[in-house]
Amino acid sequence: MRPSGSVERETRRLAELLVVPTWVFLLLVFAVPILGAVYLSFRNETLGSFVAPRFIGLENYAAALADPRFWEAITTTLFLMVAGLAVQLPIGIGLALLLHRNLRGTQLFRTAIIVPMLLTPVAVGLMWRFMFDTDFGIINWVLGGILTDPPNWLGSRWPARFAVVIVDSWQSIPFVMLMVLAALASLPKGPAEAAAIDGAGPLSIFLHITLPSLVPVILVVVMIRVVDVVKLFDIIFIVTQRGGPGTATQTLGLLTYNTGFIFFQTSRAAALGILLTIMVLPIYVLWRRVGRSA
Amino acid sequence: MTAGGRRIAAACGIAASYAALGLAAFAALFPLFWTISTSVKQRADTFALPPRLFDFAPTLKNYEAILATRGFGQIFLNSIVITAAATALCVAVSTLAAYALARSPRFRSRGALEVGLILTRAVPTIVVMVPLFQIISRLGLYDSHLMLVFMYAAVNIPFATWLMTSFVAQVPPALEESAAVDGASRTAILWFVVLPLILPGMAATTIFVALLTWNEFLIPVMLAGNDAKTLPVFIAGFISARNLDWGPMAAASTLAILPIALVTVLAQRKLVSGLASGAVKG
Repeated sequence: MRPSGSVERETRRLAELLVVPTWVFLLLVFAVPILGAVYLSFRNETLGSFVAPRFIGLENYAAALADPRFWEAITTTLFLMVAGLAVQLPIGIGLALLLHRNLRGTQLFRTAIIVPMLLTPVAVGLMWRFMFDTDFGIINWVLGGILTDPPNWLGSRWPARFAVVIVDSWQSIPFVMLMVLAALASLPKGPAEAAAIDGAGPLSIFLHITLPSLVPVILVVVMIRVVDVVKLFDIIFIVTQRGGPGTATQTLGLLTYNTGFIFFQTSRAAALGILLTIMVLPIYVLWRRVGRSA
Repeated sequence: MTAGGRRIAAACGIAASYAALGLAAFAALFPLFWTISTSVKQRADTFALPPRLFDFAPTLKNYEAILATRGFGQIFLNSIVITAAATALCVAVSTLAAYALARSPRFRSRGALEVGLILTRAVPTIVVMVPLFQIISRLGLYDSHLMLVFMYAAVNIPFATWLMTSFVAQVPPALEESAAVDGASRTAILWFVVLPLILPGMAATTIFVALLTWNEFLIPVMLAGNDAKTLPVFIAGFISARNLDWGPMAAASTLAILPIALVTVLAQRKLVSGLASGAVKG
């Protein structure tokens, strides 16, 4: 038998080898382009411009930060994040608690509820767009029976933002629910049973025993959702046609897209992308911390 | 509270649970139902108010229109081939890295790799798209199937590695050690001991990555032209071109969604347990 030190060294050497393909992908598809974006962001490249591109220092960054659309995009992104979590967390946790009771036949409900998570966002986005239609949409037909003046979902500012929150929540509640459900399944039953014997009601058992032990998984969910709202692209692209009406649902990602590929200001878009990357960096620190505690 | 009162309260609680779950299931499935039903409606029924839920004469006209669209067969085939190739590539690469991450606590590039994977997961794809669009166009790779396979695999590697690491970690190292004591080579151990045990995990990861790849929109909308166009880009094309053609649009959506619905129903348990075991590990 070989000494364990040499086995460990051998495993380590094997590990170095096994991660080589992953490194190739990460470098080619992420590291190189991000360096490319930094380079572009210091120049003034615009598609179809007659001026020869040159280095202009930090001008793109200054222009981006001075643009009110940039700050509007930040508030829009934050709104989608906060409003989304306010909808998704309570509903997702609530559904997980209900399914965790394991009532007869609830497997079937679980299957039905996770379906939206898996469907093509572009396809369901189109269908929601049809359902939100002011004239022919089924949503306003239903609301017309209750409200005298149902919202013009995709045609005015705040309703459009809520429409994006609704579609995003519809697709991500199943994810929240599954994560919480998995955490519930791994909780020890003892403490809750002991509290019930001591006469605690279901509500106080939930508040004082179940909820505190769910905190780690909820933090993970919040973090993943924050990252995914920053990345959210296809739903906004489809449902509100690239951030409309006007700039009402234009998140930072959509602003970067529109700047680079609708207005062809390549260098400005690169600068926006770098600013966006700098803003997601703190998430990385949180991720490590939460990952460790969970 | 009396015993009878408690029983009534419990019964009410159960009824309320069913009602809430039923409502959630309805909300989850209605848009899917509405897509499918719109796809088999005549144009007049599509716009009818009050909406026609069931009382309409079904037609396959919309599907005929989609199937007759020039290039649709190619687009559908592109989606299938690119999804299959990218998923296989992604799961293979991720499984190798996952084995390293799960088994070797201190290899040299470990720290950097962990940082790289998290950042890659967190940085929005649009950020890298701005320079990548230029790089790829200059290399003459725009609209190439192979480039798309590579890109799709890359964006899903962080998620797949994360999931696979938790599956590899569940295999007790003692099994590998005893095989080594019996004189098995490293390759033999990986192939005959580890691989069979992580196959269920690889299956779950494959399903997830395949779904994400099939649904991907940002990459093909920017980097694919007519040759390598995929289904989501085709569907999105309806918006600008023919805004009021909801019937064919719904038919195209249904064709994209049906394979997924099928996979969901067939592989439900794998998906749930897969996500669960990956999720709890964080």
